[in-house]
This record gives sequence, C-alpha cells and structure tokens, in this order.
Amino acid sequence: MDRRQFIASTTAASLAALMPKVAFADTLFAPKPGAWRSVDLITKLEIAKPEGAMQAWIPLPSVSETEWSRPGETRWTGNAAKVERVRDPKYGAEMLHVIWKTDEFMPRVEVTSRVATRDRAVDLDKPGNAPPLSAAERSLYLEGTDLIPVDGIVKQTSDKIVADAKASTDIAKARAIYEWVVENTVRVAATRGCGTGDIAAMLKSGNLGGKCADLNALYVGLARAAGLPARDVYGLRVLPSQFGYKSLGVGSVNVTKAQHCRAEVFLNGFGWVPVDPADVRKVMLEEPPANLGLNDPKVVAARKALFGAWEGNWIAYNVAHDVALPGGATHPKLGFLMYPQAERESLLLDCLDPDNFRYALLAKEVTPA
Amino acid sequence: MTRAAGRLALLSMMSLMLTTFSAADAARLAPWREGPRAAFTLDGVDGGSRSLATFKGRIILVHFFATWCEPCVRELTSLNALARATRDRPLSIVAIDVGEVDLRVRAFLQKLPVDFPVLLDRDRAVARSWKVSALPSTIVLDADLVPRLFVEGDLDWTGSDTIAALARLDPAIPLRPTTPTASAAATVK
Repeated sequence: MDRRQFIASTTAASLAALMPKVAFADTLFAPKPGAWRSVDLITKLEIAKPEGAMQAWIPLPSVSETEWSRPGETRWTGNAAKVERVRDPKYGAEMLHVIWKTDEFMPRVEVTSRVATRDRAVDLDKPGNAPPLSAAERSLYLEGTDLIPVDGIVKQTSDKIVADAKASTDIAKARAIYEWVVENTVRVAATRGCGTGDIAAMLKSGNLGGKCADLNALYVGLARAAGLPARDVYGLRVLPSQFGYKSLGVGSVNVTKAQHCRAEVFLNGFGWVPVDPADVRKVMLEEPPANLGLNDPKVVAARKALFGAWEGNWIAYNVAHDVALPGGATHPKLGFLMYPQAERESLLLDCLDPDNFRYALLAKEVTPA
Repeated sequence: MTRAAGRLALLSMMSLMLTTFSAADAARLAPWREGPRAAFTLDGVDGGSRSLATFKGRIILVHFFATWCEPCVRELTSLNALARATRDRPLSIVAIDVGEVDLRVRAFLQKLPVDFPVLLDRDRAVARSWKVSALPSTIVLDADLVPRLFVEGDLDWTGSDTIAALARLDPAIPLRPTTPTASAAATVK
C-alpha cells in the first residue's frame, strides 16, 4: 500500500471519529447493563440422506461472564447412541458431540440450552479495577491463528494505522483500529455465512469486503498485531434490538441464520472491552432504507456505541479458533465454531446449508425484560 | 472521512494491491515474475488423489476457485470451453477448490460439471504455499512445470489474446475456441 494513501485514509478516519457527535443526539443506540433476559436456544438437527457412520457437534453457549453472559442448563432428546458434552482443550469452547448407530434410519437430536444475557457497556472515560490478564491468557489472545496471522501484512497494516493516528496509549490504539476497520471495510451481502475470516488474504488482495467473521477478525488481528489482547466472540442473535435497529436484531423465533461474531479487546484497567465494527457496516448496508452513509444518524449512533458496548440481544457460544472436532474423521481444523457440524460417512456436511444439512435454530425468551 | 473520500481511499488502496475479485474486465494473463511453486498432491472431488507431477510434459493451468465466488463460476464455464477446445492438445486444466467441504463442492459440480479434474485444498495449504490471496486465480505452467503466466480475476479463456499467449508456451497450441465469445470475435481479424 502506498504510504501517503494510507496516511490519507487513516487521518480522515480519525477526523471522522470526531464528526458524529452532533448527529448522535437524534438517534439512540446506547446499550447499558440492565435487566437480564433469559432465552431458550433450541437446535433441531437431522442428518439428511442418512447413511453409514454419522455424528454431529452442536456448539453450546459456553462464555460465562458475570456481567453479561450466564449459560444455564442444556438438555437434549433424540435417538443418538451416544451424547457427550465436550470442550475444546485450548479455548474451552463447549459442544455436544452426538453419535448415532451406523445406518440409523432417521438420525435426529434436539438440544435446548438456556442462557441469560444483558446489555454490556464499559465506561471508557475512567479506568476501573479490572484484574489483569494472566500471562497465559495474554499470550493466548496475542498469538496468531491459522486465519489471523499477526505478522507480515497484518503487522505492517496495524503499525501504520497506529502510527498515522499517533496513538500512544492502548485505548487510542484500540480506537484507531476500530475507526480504520469501520472506514475501510464493507459488508458484502453475497458473502456465504459470516465469511471465512482469512484476514491476510483480505489485506493482500485489497478486498476488504465480507461479513462479521471477516471484518471483526480483521479488527482482532490488527489489535493483536498492535500488542493488544483481542478475541472474536462467536454467537447468535436471538432477540430483536430494543433500540429499533432491524439490522441488529432478529425478526422471529427462527434464528437459523442469525449467527454473528463480535469482538473484544483487553485494555488494562477496563478489562475486556466489547467492540463490533462489523455491525456498523451492517447498519450502513441493511438498516432501512438501506445503504446509509457514515453520517446518517443511525450509523453515527451505532458507531459511537459499538466501541465499548454491545446490546444483549445476542448470546455467545465461544471465543475459539482452529477447532478440531473431537472424535471426527480427519478434517482440517475449523476456523471457528459457530454453526452445527455433522459428518456422514466421514464427510462433513455443509454447515452453511441448513436446509439440506438439516438443522434449525429457534430462540424463545423465557424471562421478559 | 466522508463516504466518497472513504470510497476513494479504498479504491486507491485496492488499485495498489492485488487484483480484486470483481475486477473481471481488467483480468488478463501476465508474465510470472516470482519463483517456482511447491509440488502438491491433493484429493480429487470424486476420490483418488492427483499430484502436480503427473501433468509434466503438458502445459497446465492450475486454477484456484471456491463455489461461493461468483466470478469463479463464470470462469469455470470459460475454462470448460477451453478444455473442450484443447482436448487433443498437450494442455491440461486442474481446478483446486479452496477451503470448502467435499459435499459442498460435489453438489456444486453436479450443477456445473466440468471436463477437468477438481482437487480439494481443504485446509488451504496449497493456496497458501502458492501465495494465492484472491479467487479466482490461475497460474499457467509450462511442460517443465515452471510457472510462466498468471491471472487474478476471471478471464475469458477462449479469447484470442489468451489463446495466443498460451500458444507461445508451446508450438502445438494454436487453438481455436469451439464457440467464439463476443470478446474473442471482436479481436479476431
């Protein structure tokens, strides 16, 4: 990338961050911790065209945070020969491993997980007393993953963003990267699923389009490359937005295609800080009447809030990368675990094709706000 | 930054980096200026495995694609036309699907069958070792398996310029497209 061009774009991004404050007053998107809301997430899964050995792995809400996420009981029914709750050894991502007997006529399982969630917001004006990360956690959330390297073009890009923003503190670096991702990426509706999150390929190709698993992975990679612990949080939208944003909530109890990845960056004193630049681009593309500009009040409000806050209409599965499916055939590791997975005769089904897989996700609120 | 300025910055950045997925009209074969690429052996979508070495002695187009990539679909159709036109010539095409599950690729090829082998780079290892960062990408190797040409973005493989570029790699290939495309017809005199 040409350095002068880069400087122009990042400087403009910094200026843009200052512009929205006037328009913000007209539109409210301001998640604040309040009442907890409990949701039953129901995963109904069948193996299409059953044949031979069959097994499935269903992600379970397994992010437990006292301030915003409380996974509860998980129950299941079906005709499996064996059902076991298993954990990814590195990140602790939980999943239900379901095995059917060979040639089971109609393999099916229904899993219900209760999870409580609420809005989350960090006051970035004053550091709190959040405990520091352990050395092991810090190392884990600074290292590269298969699809999120933190060297090469990712490091070069991160360094330029930070330098051009003249960001000297961790919070300034985190914000500069957030603004850069908002300014320079684009949500592409045609992207399959939530994207693959191959951020080195994105930067090398110059194609910074995608969806949440691309855009927020880019944030995480750039932040890690800047020395800030960061992580993707893979989950699912389960409720409408209480702020009236149609693009940031679900419209029915059927949430089969409502997967959404968010991100966190760790700042000393503040702890894990929620961010979601991908949702800013989603608001721009999808919020009625659609194709909104950066200065649209709805975009301005979302952009301001989504550095430091999340709405609790979403539940978190896990923060895992490079996930091996325990007990599965030899497959490459998954970049992330956000969709049900299943094998039929050692071949993975297409998790992004729920109608042919087949699975459905339903979310029912059981404790009104 | 205004929306227009942001778009300008992004476009400028993109123009300075590698070709993007949507730069269909700009895609053209260019001389290969990098070093050799590692040999590979990959599973085929219909079973078995295939190594690059088995193509030695022929011009080979190593084509990287994915089923979700719209330009890739267009280009597979064009590559198939080239495959049919070169059936009796020392030219092979091998397509490598990047990072998708077998069943997805099989279902895709049932709807869009092709006359050349399709291999599965399930963990993207070959795409990475070949430094492929945009799809579709195609590298043309000579009979000694030395990379000679490449293109990022979808290309009309039956166009006369393209045919001529391939022909320069091997005298046995002046080829004629089976059905001239609009672009080929426009350039053939």
